[in-house]
Amino acid sequence: MLAGARLLAVAGPIGQLLPAGGIQRGSTVALDGPTGAGSTTVALLLAAATTSVGEWAAVVDPDGTLGARAAAEIGVDLERCAIVRSVPPDRWPKVVGALLDGVTLVAAAVPPSLRPGDARRLAARARERATVLVTLGPWPVEATLRLHAQGRDWSGLATGGGLLAESELDVRVEGKGVRAHARAG
Amino acid sequence: MSRTGCVWCPDWPVIAARKHADGLGTELRNRPLIVRERVGSRDIVRAASAEARATGVTRGMRRREAEARCPEAVCVDADEANEARTFEVVARAVEVFTPRVVLDRPGRCEFPTRGPSRYFGGDDALASQIRAGVATALGPDGADVRIGIADGVFVARLAARRSVVVPAGGSAEYVAPWPVSVLDDDELASLLVRLGLPTLGDVAALAPDAVLARFGRVGGRIHALSRGVDPGPSVFVAPPPDLVERTELDPPAERVDIAAFAAKELADRLLARCAERGLACTRVRVVAETEHGERLTRCWRHARSEYGDALTPSVLAERVRWQLDAWITTGETTAGITGLTLIPDEVVPADGRQLGFWGGDQVAHQRADRALARVQGMLGYDAVTTAVVQGGRTPAEQVRWVPWGEPREPELPLFVGPEVAAWPGALPPPFPARVFDPPLPAELLDANDDAIAVNGRGEQLCPPAYVRCRALPAGGGAVRAWAGPWAHDVRWWDVQAHRRCARWQLVVGADEAQRSGARGSHRVGADEAQRSGARGSHGDDVACIVVVEGGRAGVEAIYD
Repeated sequence: MLAGARLLAVAGPIGQLLPAGGIQRGSTVALDGPTGAGSTTVALLLAAATTSVGEWAAVVDPDGTLGARAAAEIGVDLERCAIVRSVPPDRWPKVVGALLDGVTLVAAAVPPSLRPGDARRLAARARERATVLVTLGPWPVEATLRLHAQGRDWSGLATGGGLLAESELDVRVEGKGVRAHARAG
Repeated sequence: MSRTGCVWCPDWPVIAARKHADGLGTELRNRPLIVRERVGSRDIVRAASAEARATGVTRGMRRREAEARCPEAVCVDADEANEARTFEVVARAVEVFTPRVVLDRPGRCEFPTRGPSRYFGGDDALASQIRAGVATALGPDGADVRIGIADGVFVARLAARRSVVVPAGGSAEYVAPWPVSVLDDDELASLLVRLGLPTLGDVAALAPDAVLARFGRVGGRIHALSRGVDPGPSVFVAPPPDLVERTELDPPAERVDIAAFAAKELADRLLARCAERGLACTRVRVVAETEHGERLTRCWRHARSEYGDALTPSVLAERVRWQLDAWITTGETTAGITGLTLIPDEVVPADGRQLGFWGGDQVAHQRADRALARVQGMLGYDAVTTAVVQGGRTPAEQVRWVPWGEPREPELPLFVGPEVAAWPGALPPPFPARVFDPPLPAELLDANDDAIAVNGRGEQLCPPAYVRCRALPAGGGAVRAWAGPWAHDVRWWDVQAHRRCARWQLVVGADEAQRSGARGSHRVGADEAQRSGARGSHGDDVACIVVVEGGRAGVEAIYD
């Protein structure tokens, strides 16, 4: 596979933060941040980058709380995105492993009980299968890229009126070849 | 529009089955015959002989019912390859008069008549000569052969049903009394009848833009067909001359299955190359060469090409297989086939219908399907889902979760009616990325730490000041901005589904006390202060939707 074909280009300001403007296939991206800071939005942006080039993505969402309307709004092609709900924590590694064999990007919310050994095995499997593994939550081992959603500024809503209109995400990126910490709208 | 002739042999499956039975030495000639086929899980009648039809058996009827109506009938399985092979005799007889014969299914073929009509002395003379030629070719017990000549393929097919020549420009008049069922789309035809439009003339009388608005692109086509205008390919594209797929067979293929195997690969390759250029193929010329230097050629098209349906690899491969089978078994080839060529004869811009049939895409699709089926095996069928956006007011209502592999259809319509664009009271974008169904228990408090209440008119008595919920960072905090309450009183006519609730959209910050203590140290630096000053916020906003129903508050969604 050519170097260019290994890259999943990510559109928008988030893509500009990433080395080479996207994510290399086979890499592991660990996303974290407090609730409401935008980590789900970033994960959906990466899934949208996958489905927009005609590839398949899967989201592992054990709580079943993913907002599909938001996914569609961000640009995820819902026809090419499988959402796996109600995953018991003990079967999480097996499920994610099976998905890594079949689709181009797996975005999975990490259960707190995940053992480092399982995590390492999954990262190796992603590398071998040239699949992107995006983890949401505390990832116990090293990752190719770490994205920290640090906070979000909302505009449009006033006291007693208005509507949420836009937000500015504050994302810090760590990893090889990363330029800096930056903010993206 | 070009004058087109159509040769149609009614009940071709029955005739082919009888001829086939003759070859095997069984006698089906004077007995009622039913040819059945499987469509999905249904076992239906594909064709019936005249004797069987006289007892009330019709096409598309369930086999069991047909057998009950005509118990003395012999029931045989459909064999499309045999039908195509038998029809080769007819195609060859027509080819004597014009080389440009196009087959669309066994039992029916079309040809342009302008040249041959002039040569043979008019449409009527041509029709009677071809009929005589075909009847001779079919032999003494020959089938009913009908020939129609008219403007365009669609009208020619209708003309063939009655064996008439429709004069140039007389199409609209000729098609008007035909029922809408001839449009070859049962669902659409039944809808048109229910709309009070039983004939093509009724459809043609409507304003074209009204039909287009109601049925979309298909509407434009059916309106054109109803006026007797054959829309043909929507946009004419000349097939690129280099878009030809050819393969050499070495050793030469003596048997159908070997040649057909090569044909399958060829069909895949041709359509994949068409797709690369954004084209779809509706008509293909099949050319075979033999060891003895014979060169045989025949043109096939999609049976529904007038609706813009294009050939798919499996459909094309099947047609090529039929054709090769016909050539080999009727002895037209005197030696093994050495070369096989597929030439696109008519291409249209691909409109995305073929998505999922492209080579590379299909491999990835199958791989994804296999993996997801494995996960379904591990966790249960319902655990792997895809989301379908549908109509509704709340973020949870607006999405339907469909198990992977089932048809993706919304349950609630996206639009309430033609005048109302969206659901009244629906949440506008941006949409929350986390949705809790049911809502997570929370407390919505006013400045005096009392729970917010909403009166009967949907008004709040005090503005919200604090939210507490375990899902929010630090367990909640002060309300920085808010809008609402939006009162919803939905489905009041249904005791079970009736809901009365009020919603707020909130931006929550950390508690004042916590902020001054824990965060003071790290929020230094000029740009931080400037930024928060300019925007009046602190970069740790959490936007959420809180619902109050029956005196209990809950967080329904978080914009994560």
